[in-house]
Amino acid sequence: MNEQFDMVGIRPLPPEPTAKAKRWYRGKPILSLTVLAAIFLGCLFCRLLMTKDPTYMDLMNYNTAPNGEFLFGTDTMGRDIFSMIWYGGRLSLSIGVLSTLISTAIAIVFGAVSGCAPGWLDTVLMRLTEILLSVPSLLIIVLLQAILGKANVLSISFVIGITSWTSIAKVVRTEVRQLRSSEYILAARCMGGGFFHILWRHLTPNFVSSIMFMVVMNVRSAIVAESTLSFMGIGLPLEVITWGSMLSLSEKALLTGAWWIILIPGSFLVVTLLCVTDLGNYMRRNANRKQSNL
Amino acid sequence: MKKRNLAAYFGKKIFVFFLSVLLLSIAVFYISRLAPGDPLVSYYGDRVEKMTPEEREWAEGKLGLNDPITVQYIRWLDSAFHGDFGISYKYKMDVVEVIGSRIGNTLILGGVGFLLIFVASMLLGVLCAWHEDRLLDRVICKIGTISSCVPEFWLSLVLILIFSVTLRWLPSSGAYSIGKSGDIGDRIAHLILPLTVVVLGHLWYYAYMIRNKILEEVRADYVLLAKAKGLTKRSVMFRHCLRNVIPSYLSIMAIAVPHILGGTYVVETVFSYPGIGTLSYESARYQDYNLLMLLCLLSGILVILCNIIAQIINEQIDPRIKAQDAAETLEVGEP
Amino acid sequence: MGNEILLDVQHLTHVFPLTKKIAVKAVDNISFQIVRGEIFGLVGESGSGKSTIARCVMNLYQPRNGQILYKGLDTCDPWVFRENRRMLQTTRQMIFQDSNSSLDQRMKVADIIAEPMKIQHITPPRGTCRAEAEFQMKYVGLDASYLDKYPSELSGGQRQRVAIARALAMEPELLVADEPIASLDVSIQAQIVNLFKHLQQEHGFSFLFIAHDLAMVEFLCNRVGVMYHGRLVETAPTKELFANPLHPYTKALLSAIPIPDPRRERARKLAEFRREDFLPVGELTEVSPGHFVLRNGREIS
Repeated sequence: MNEQFDMVGIRPLPPEPTAKAKRWYRGKPILSLTVLAAIFLGCLFCRLLMTKDPTYMDLMNYNTAPNGEFLFGTDTMGRDIFSMIWYGGRLSLSIGVLSTLISTAIAIVFGAVSGCAPGWLDTVLMRLTEILLSVPSLLIIVLLQAILGKANVLSISFVIGITSWTSIAKVVRTEVRQLRSSEYILAARCMGGGFFHILWRHLTPNFVSSIMFMVVMNVRSAIVAESTLSFMGIGLPLEVITWGSMLSLSEKALLTGAWWIILIPGSFLVVTLLCVTDLGNYMRRNANRKQSNL
Repeated sequence: MKKRNLAAYFGKKIFVFFLSVLLLSIAVFYISRLAPGDPLVSYYGDRVEKMTPEEREWAEGKLGLNDPITVQYIRWLDSAFHGDFGISYKYKMDVVEVIGSRIGNTLILGGVGFLLIFVASMLLGVLCAWHEDRLLDRVICKIGTISSCVPEFWLSLVLILIFSVTLRWLPSSGAYSIGKSGDIGDRIAHLILPLTVVVLGHLWYYAYMIRNKILEEVRADYVLLAKAKGLTKRSVMFRHCLRNVIPSYLSIMAIAVPHILGGTYVVETVFSYPGIGTLSYESARYQDYNLLMLLCLLSGILVILCNIIAQIINEQIDPRIKAQDAAETLEVGEP
Repeated sequence: MGNEILLDVQHLTHVFPLTKKIAVKAVDNISFQIVRGEIFGLVGESGSGKSTIARCVMNLYQPRNGQILYKGLDTCDPWVFRENRRMLQTTRQMIFQDSNSSLDQRMKVADIIAEPMKIQHITPPRGTCRAEAEFQMKYVGLDASYLDKYPSELSGGQRQRVAIARALAMEPELLVADEPIASLDVSIQAQIVNLFKHLQQEHGFSFLFIAHDLAMVEFLCNRVGVMYHGRLVETAPTKELFANPLHPYTKALLSAIPIPDPRRERARKLAEFRREDFLPVGELTEVSPGHFVLRNGREIS
């Protein structure tokens, strides 16, 4: 059989030894990953890092600037900011990740169902999500939180997750709609592929890259949402330490010019968010590799 | 034939609009009633605790709160059609008045912010795309990314720290100084910091979007052809790429309106700016039902309206979307 | 070539609704049969409904009217389909026109070829799925080094051959090929057509070969059907059709084939066919054994 397939003009070359591999870390967000890992590990092992008890209010030393004993200073209630950062970071980060997991799971299921549903059902579902979107998320959070009772990590994550799945679901639904009539899906159906086989092997790998970026961004907005809520006093109760609640006392700090209470937790927040954003951008860049024509 | 189609098209959209608003009102009504908490507190304040059960019942009856929820809803719907949205429990004034006194401030903040963002993000996006991957673009991208990562409330705090506390250049709260409500200069001074926060918070998001859209556009094959024909870079960018990007930009901006207006809440809180953001929070927290309903309705109407406008724009850009939806109804279905 | 009728299409009609009022009749009252071991060619212009027939045969569309009998079973009946699902899905395979979109860009070639076996939970006769994929690739003339590549790294001809390998992996009895060689260059076309002929002669595969290249059809197919605007205007054994076309459309089509001899090409005259002359009514009547022509009661000279 092979004689019929003589390639004209092609001579198979022996495989060359590959050129020196390009530095593998080029283009990858190594700095962000390292910083993020450092913060993450620091929060995980906060007991090792903390010099003082973060909840202990040392009223004699309140509002002190950073010095040898209190590395980042103390806040208006005398708590050591350095320890609070690592201790509170756990909650901030875990709420961010947990709510993203919840919202992504809801979004994929909803989007896939809507994408594969007949036209009228799809329209109804999309309109529902639009209506849901149109209520300001803050109000939903306040209302849901009130219904759920006292706020804790799970309930806050749940509530933030419930309000942020719609954009991913829309993307999933659009992608699934587009992919649904591709020929390879038709071919898979000819061969006998069931719904779940097609969903798992064909649809998901094809839309996962377009939602990866949004998922990472959702982590970011979840962290911001949690800190905003804690700042407003709507989220976790004030005694619970997160980066947001550390900032909620800053109104008083403004009057006394205690910049460290505002700047330090905030910069940690910003740095974490920056790293997460960098990761997300890297994932988005990976999806787009063509050269510019201009 | 075409006129009838146009009327049917818009009629359908208007119908969907009203239906959505109705569903929204039902949802908000029921959910708000579900939340625990006592609406009487907002009306009577602390005196509630001292009320005897009969007095409570009388108070509830006066406010119409002890009827079943459906009856309450129908009653609300009925009076809403006549323009009467009830009274706010806290302010003891007509809800429309309460909102009316504050909505102007929010509209100024949000509206001016939106205009600034609209213009600035397009300019910034074009600038970045023009100098793609060169130093200017990279610097702007880095700064933009950092600025988008800063939480709004923190930015407000830092700005207050710098400009109000340390430098004492700008006021830190309120919409106007006491007694100077008509003074434009004073208003503007009070507006600068909140406006900066609102604009900076969203600017890079949209500028980046436009930058990416333009970059995607210049990777199209027709750009290569235009370059081969000899058109200058400027001409290709402005006469072709930008024109192709503008319709989708318009639809994005249509969605941005409620996004920006809704996001002024945080800024209003930190700057103690008297707008409807703070009203929303109070009404949700303290069960001021009538106020909550109207506020939700207003924001919901705005969002749904903007969504529909964006959808109309999208359908005009790409008639394939309309046709695609029609074609999808003929399924490649298994027998 | 035995006499068992593998595929029997009877009065197939399929309509696509464009809007609520306008519909397009893509396929109108088509009837033809494919005998086991036969290559049946379906030719026609773009838009004449050939792909629609292919998809109806493969049960991707539910036809508006008509019956498609495969081995005597009515495949349009959902109950019959469900009962014989496995048989129907393994013994019939399809090859699409555009190899770019018919292969999943995110799967490696080895996975693509092995997919039908994984779906049907069949143990591959060559041991593992990968060994089977390698075998099929050798069969279509691709080196085993291509197994770990992605479709975007292959050329058009190679992709089409991967699609054919995927269809062959199940060792089907009926292969529906929807313009499989339309986008390939001439040498690859020749190789693939030879492959099809080999499959027919050695292994007894039957083909529904859809094309619009008449020269290829003349070389490859046993019987040919000519379609125009959704109707089958003429069906005959290949030699008979090319020697003695009866319908005016067929005559015009055949006279338009370029001849690779400059003198004869210069002397070639195109037969005329006007669209207004065509009436989509009438039935296929048998003029001579195996030769059917669309007649509508008027005498066609």
